[in-house]
Amino acid sequence: MKDIFQRMKDGWKTSSKQVKLSMFIMGAGQFCYGKRAKGILFFLLELCILYYFFSRGFRDIAGFFTLGTTEADAWLGIEGDNSVIMLLMGIFAWIVLAVFITLYRLNIRDALRMQRRLEQGKQLESYRKELSRFLDKKFYVAALTLPVLGVLVFNVLPVVFMILIAFTNYGGDIVPPRLVDWVGLANFRKLLALSQFAPTFFRILGWNILWAVLSTALNYFAGLGLALLLEKDCVKGKAFFRAFPVLAYAIPGFITLLAFKFMFSYGGPINQLIVGNGGMAIGFLDLDAKWTARLIGLLVNCWISTPSIMLLATGILANRDKSLYEAAEIDGAGRWKQFSKLTLPFMLFSTLPVLISQFIGNFNNFGIFYFLRGGLYLDGYFLASDTDLLINWLYNLSIDNNYYCIGAAISIVIFIITSILSLAVYVKSPSYREEDTFQ
Amino acid sequence: MKKIRVVMIAVLAFTQLTGCGAAGGNAQQAESSQATGTAAGSSVFDGELEENVTIYVLENDTAISKGYFDELIEAFNEAYAEYGITAVDANMDQYLDLANDGPYGYGPDVLYQANDVIMQYAEDKHIYPLPAEQLECYELIDESAWDAYRIEVDGSEYICGVPVNVQAPMLYYRADLLPEDWESAWDENGNQVPDMAESWNAMYAWSLQRHEEDSTKYGYMKSLYDTYFSSGFLFSYGAYVFGENNTDPSHIGLAAGEAEKGAWVLSQLASAMSEECIDDTITANAYSKLADGTYFATISTPDVYSTFFDELVMAYEGEGMSEEEAKAAAEENLVMTTLPMLPESGDLTEENPTLIESKTMGGINGYAVSAYTEYPNDCLAFIEFATSYEMVVKRSEMLGIAPARQDAAETAGGTSELLYQSLADGNIVLMPSIKEVAQLWTPAETFFTDVAKDVFRSESERKYKDLEDFRAGLENMVQQIHDAIFTLQ
Repeated sequence: MKDIFQRMKDGWKTSSKQVKLSMFIMGAGQFCYGKRAKGILFFLLELCILYYFFSRGFRDIAGFFTLGTTEADAWLGIEGDNSVIMLLMGIFAWIVLAVFITLYRLNIRDALRMQRRLEQGKQLESYRKELSRFLDKKFYVAALTLPVLGVLVFNVLPVVFMILIAFTNYGGDIVPPRLVDWVGLANFRKLLALSQFAPTFFRILGWNILWAVLSTALNYFAGLGLALLLEKDCVKGKAFFRAFPVLAYAIPGFITLLAFKFMFSYGGPINQLIVGNGGMAIGFLDLDAKWTARLIGLLVNCWISTPSIMLLATGILANRDKSLYEAAEIDGAGRWKQFSKLTLPFMLFSTLPVLISQFIGNFNNFGIFYFLRGGLYLDGYFLASDTDLLINWLYNLSIDNNYYCIGAAISIVIFIITSILSLAVYVKSPSYREEDTFQ
Repeated sequence: MKKIRVVMIAVLAFTQLTGCGAAGGNAQQAESSQATGTAAGSSVFDGELEENVTIYVLENDTAISKGYFDELIEAFNEAYAEYGITAVDANMDQYLDLANDGPYGYGPDVLYQANDVIMQYAEDKHIYPLPAEQLECYELIDESAWDAYRIEVDGSEYICGVPVNVQAPMLYYRADLLPEDWESAWDENGNQVPDMAESWNAMYAWSLQRHEEDSTKYGYMKSLYDTYFSSGFLFSYGAYVFGENNTDPSHIGLAAGEAEKGAWVLSQLASAMSEECIDDTITANAYSKLADGTYFATISTPDVYSTFFDELVMAYEGEGMSEEEAKAAAEENLVMTTLPMLPESGDLTEENPTLIESKTMGGINGYAVSAYTEYPNDCLAFIEFATSYEMVVKRSEMLGIAPARQDAAETAGGTSELLYQSLADGNIVLMPSIKEVAQLWTPAETFFTDVAKDVFRSESERKYKDLEDFRAGLENMVQQIHDAIFTLQ
């Protein structure tokens, strides 16, 4: 801190009056140095931002802290404050403030650069030269400025918004027009209080981990197997067979899930066949069907996810070094050896990040059991069924009740767990540690 | 899903506040109400029509698909052409979210929804209280129907919707599938109404007999997991949803009274069905299976009468009848009536039982005015028009609904009148209008599924062997509902 103040003090002492001017009025220094267009541009930007702050920005920042003071009442015509919008616009105001600080810094650095050039006896750069230098050396800044602004508003803002919701009481009965308040870590404390439901939590967590591992492995090896099979010379009509699984991939997941739900229902075609042949109808997905339902879930998920892995594997396998296989064959390696020593390491090296994302996706796979077997609370589980994953259970507990704040807190917890897991696996993986193995 | 919702709220709100969205303020409307201090909200209905405007009306999908809504708005637009008022289809999903969309100007001006949906909006003042007593239909609609739309705010009572039709489960059966000797063997009281339509005991006995005679045929069939239809069996024996007239969620009454007898009745009915009663198979197939004679009877809501009718006509045509003959036969043979009576003991095998009235869960569908509309008086005019005798009778004719207006119910006659009477007699238990009702469905569905499944379990695995077991199951369900409501509060 002391250093910063010292540097600022030194900077103030050594800077020219034009630079000092720029510190008070953006663009003023540039204007005095003769770069009038640039000076005016900086000045206009400052004016726009100041206009924004005086017209609503300061109010939005205040609203960010208060989240509103007057409750809306449509019957009385009191428009009131909308806490959710105030939070959102508060975040937007902070983003604008960050942009303003960046521009302000840019303005001073630019003025300083001009001062230094003149001190060194050089002429100031023409606009054309300055532009071409900028595009040459800092092309990434030019190319990324607009996308970054877009990402800030349409991506970062909602994500920050969602994170901040975890520290409010938004949800349940507290939804606009009611006013939302900041509650600090209260939602996280509530999550801890859920420890009274520990048996359900650990039962579901155990199944969740088993599900994530099994489904990721099943999807991966099914996709890889299919890709290897379709690569064989003896397979005729490869284009057709490659296109066929893509159809399954192209159909929206929930449609597929509802179709499978129907197929395995009591009146579905599978039971029709069983009953038609004199058998008893089987409750594949009913409330007693714990492991049958879990197995069907695994297979249906495999049906949905395998095509994407197959496409990925097909592309990666095309880049294999065939000479390695020829050498292995000469050395007497069989097909399994070739697969386990050459193909699999190569595939794992290339696809481990994808595999991690598949694992996380499967860990948080909300749709599978929600659509296949949703709407059951079973004995031995607190407001959950024996096929529910953590995300389904937490949905029952929070979002089903519109407790957005709890949902946001849970999302943060899940994010922390899955990101730690995936980072740990990734940094230990050859994809990260031996980056040049297959280069 | 949550992420999408949050992103949507974020983008919606952002576009709204940066001027990209439609504005939906109504501050000026109600300034007057503040100033005068009159009953809140109602004062926006000052009787002066807003001229040369378009109002957006949200109707239910059946009314749109059957052409009733087109006729309604056409008639309204003609009647109000001199004021330049045009009503149009809001053209949005019937399951709208007025609470989130309305403040940003995206909701309809007038909405047609079930009472529980409308009253949940009313709790947060997303819809206006209406000057109901000024409406022509006020005196003609039963007090219990208005009660479904009453809300108390700050010590004053308001009415937030205008009842249009009564929704409650009805029994559908095929008269031509009755046994040939039904008049002598199945009409004990000789009133020319088969016993199956009058007593669940007779329906159960006939279901067993029909299946025994032909194993591919069944008597009464229904997916039992469906809380809307199954909870009535509990209500008939003294159960209720929430205490304090369905307003106190801390008192859940689904195990109250002798509710276990209702669960036992369901279990006995399941034993005369196939495993398909466990999931939604029967609900999905009921129209075609009743038409092809696989099922003798089922229960459903009155608004799907036309679907049952059309399926039966097609089935008759398939059997070689001409279109006219098929329609005439379907009209004669497809019977929709109120539910049979239940045995006081709960035992469907009891001979000469003492019978009690069947109660059902029901709802009142009606119109309401969004608190975010800029044209409240036009909306009220639309509601007045749509709830007029002529339009309600037309609605009843085209959609088969049971009117909430007494005069229209009398004109419609038959089941509409019976349903109106059931409502007046308190045999239709209206769905609660508080938010906590959302936590009722999953625990109740699980319990009813379990009851249905239990019949098909082996003897050693059966969970419900006597009334005590049913009571324990009901209490477990009540506990789950309580947990779902209060765990994170």
